[in-house]
Amino acid sequence: MADLLEARGLTKHYGPTIALDNATFSVQSGITGLLGPNGAGKSTAMKLFLGLIRPTSGAATIMGAEPYSSPDGRARVGYMPEHDALPPNVTATEFLMHMAQVSGLPPAFARMRTADTLRHVGLEEERYRPLGGYSTGMKQRVKLAQALVHDPVLVLLDEPTAGLDPSGRDEMLELIKRTRHAFNISIMLSTHLLGDVERAADAVVVLESGAVSRQGSVAQFTAETESLLVEIADRRDEFTAALHAKGVVPIERGHMLVVEGAGDAEYDLIRDAVVESSARLRRLTPQRGTLTDIFRDGPA
Amino acid sequence: MTMQGQAEIYDLGYQSYEGPREGRSRARRAVFENGVRTLLGIGRGGRAKILPVLLFLGAISPALVFVLILSIVPEGDFVPGPSDYYGIVGTLLVIFAAVMAPELLLSDRQYNVLQLYLVRPLTSTDYVAARFLAFFFVVLALVYSGQIILQAGLILTADEQLEYLRDNWLDIPRFLAAGVVYALFITAIPLAVTTVISRRAYVAALVIGAFLVSSFFTDSLIAGNCTETVTVQGDDIAREVECTPIIGDSAPYVALANLFQTPANISDLIFDVESGSPSGTEVAKLNAAFPVATYIALTLLPCLLLWQRYRRLAL
Repeated sequence: MADLLEARGLTKHYGPTIALDNATFSVQSGITGLLGPNGAGKSTAMKLFLGLIRPTSGAATIMGAEPYSSPDGRARVGYMPEHDALPPNVTATEFLMHMAQVSGLPPAFARMRTADTLRHVGLEEERYRPLGGYSTGMKQRVKLAQALVHDPVLVLLDEPTAGLDPSGRDEMLELIKRTRHAFNISIMLSTHLLGDVERAADAVVVLESGAVSRQGSVAQFTAETESLLVEIADRRDEFTAALHAKGVVPIERGHMLVVEGAGDAEYDLIRDAVVESSARLRRLTPQRGTLTDIFRDGPA
Repeated sequence: MTMQGQAEIYDLGYQSYEGPREGRSRARRAVFENGVRTLLGIGRGGRAKILPVLLFLGAISPALVFVLILSIVPEGDFVPGPSDYYGIVGTLLVIFAAVMAPELLLSDRQYNVLQLYLVRPLTSTDYVAARFLAFFFVVLALVYSGQIILQAGLILTADEQLEYLRDNWLDIPRFLAAGVVYALFITAIPLAVTTVISRRAYVAALVIGAFLVSSFFTDSLIAGNCTETVTVQGDDIAREVECTPIIGDSAPYVALANLFQTPANISDLIFDVESGSPSGTEVAKLNAAFPVATYIALTLLPCLLLWQRYRRLAL
């Protein structure tokens, strides 16, 4: 699969401050979370991929093009900034039509795309109101709409759920997932909220202090925490002793036991321990940890 | 027979865009057109249209008044000609530029819209050049509108229109050229000021203040002690003003610092007329290269500042 975004040894210094330090990672189609605490270098990475700033060393490419020196390469990219970026005295229609044209669409096509995009983000009814009177949730939708109006291949979303209440956040995450699955537009989602990545992303790149600490698919990360949950009705101590004898130390979680790993070997071990201890097995179920569990345990 | 029950609405869902993509050239045009719309208040609320309309009316009203006078008194020699008109509406043009320049450039920075432009197929140079041209275009339209009315009035109220045109045809290319000179100058300085000051009111105050202060300062230094001689020969009345500048021989050079007079000096050269203002009279004593060089410097330096500031803008 071709890389939509690629960072190779990407470094950015602001005077003595190192914002991004030799970062190397790539982003394929799908939803990728760029995760990290404030000051980790997420915004700097976004700006480098958007061509707003030039790297100190290394390279950032977007769909194979270097964005800073080749503005035409940015024609199929969308960007939703974190902060308010809307002129208050124009309507959503006027603003989106203009942004579509700045992305290279002729006026007649820009008009059609504007109407379609506003409908898709749920702002059809409000399209002739000046943006200054919009609520935070509506403004977020307009920001997303301007990023989608020219039908990009990839959109970069900077903290898209910032400032939203829980229901607004749910709606925004649903919209992001719909953008990927119904509109077939890939997304890089920069956020410090692990929950957002967990709910929406297929892959994750974790930045800490300007460096990449982890990267991979969310499924791959959670597979690392795969385990078997065992519930024993009686002779629990004997069952535990049988597992110990096989070199397995289960973790007690309430009245359940957790055995790390969920492969055939772990199933066989549990089966044998049940037989040897004559314990009565009530439940055996696989489970996966969440990204929160993984990152709570610290960097790999 | 009704068609009820036969119509169906299909939601086609999201449609990918397969139409043309015109890249950077379309982006530049869009920024230019949006700039013109912003300056004229098009696509914005009613309040955004008030100032452009008032200033436009202000810029053409002297021409309308002169034409009205000419239609009543055809021999009205006291009506200013094309060479004087820009001087008459100059203050109004400066006010327009000082008030509208922040609207055009500061708004995009203030509301963070600029970053949305620069993540698209557009460079900061493209952006600032398109905005500059939009401003220049609107100022030029403002500059020309009064002149066109005045020219039309002069031609239509003449006894022999063709004869008038034959005798004065040079006024047309002259006022077109002088209009460009004025519009370029009035565009460059206010736009450059918006790159160093980020408050609208301060930009307007600084620009208007700079023009007024430079005019007052130079005229005061140059004027010194003036005597006016009035000569009456038959019906002709000739006035001659002779001043002894308090700064002596350096007066013509000091006069170059009058911002109102800077484009007027070039306009006087284009129309090949003598200036009526003290600063203009002093500058006329110099070689033409001096006012031309001053004009170029005072137009080019703000343009360079504008370009540099936008190239290095931290987003």
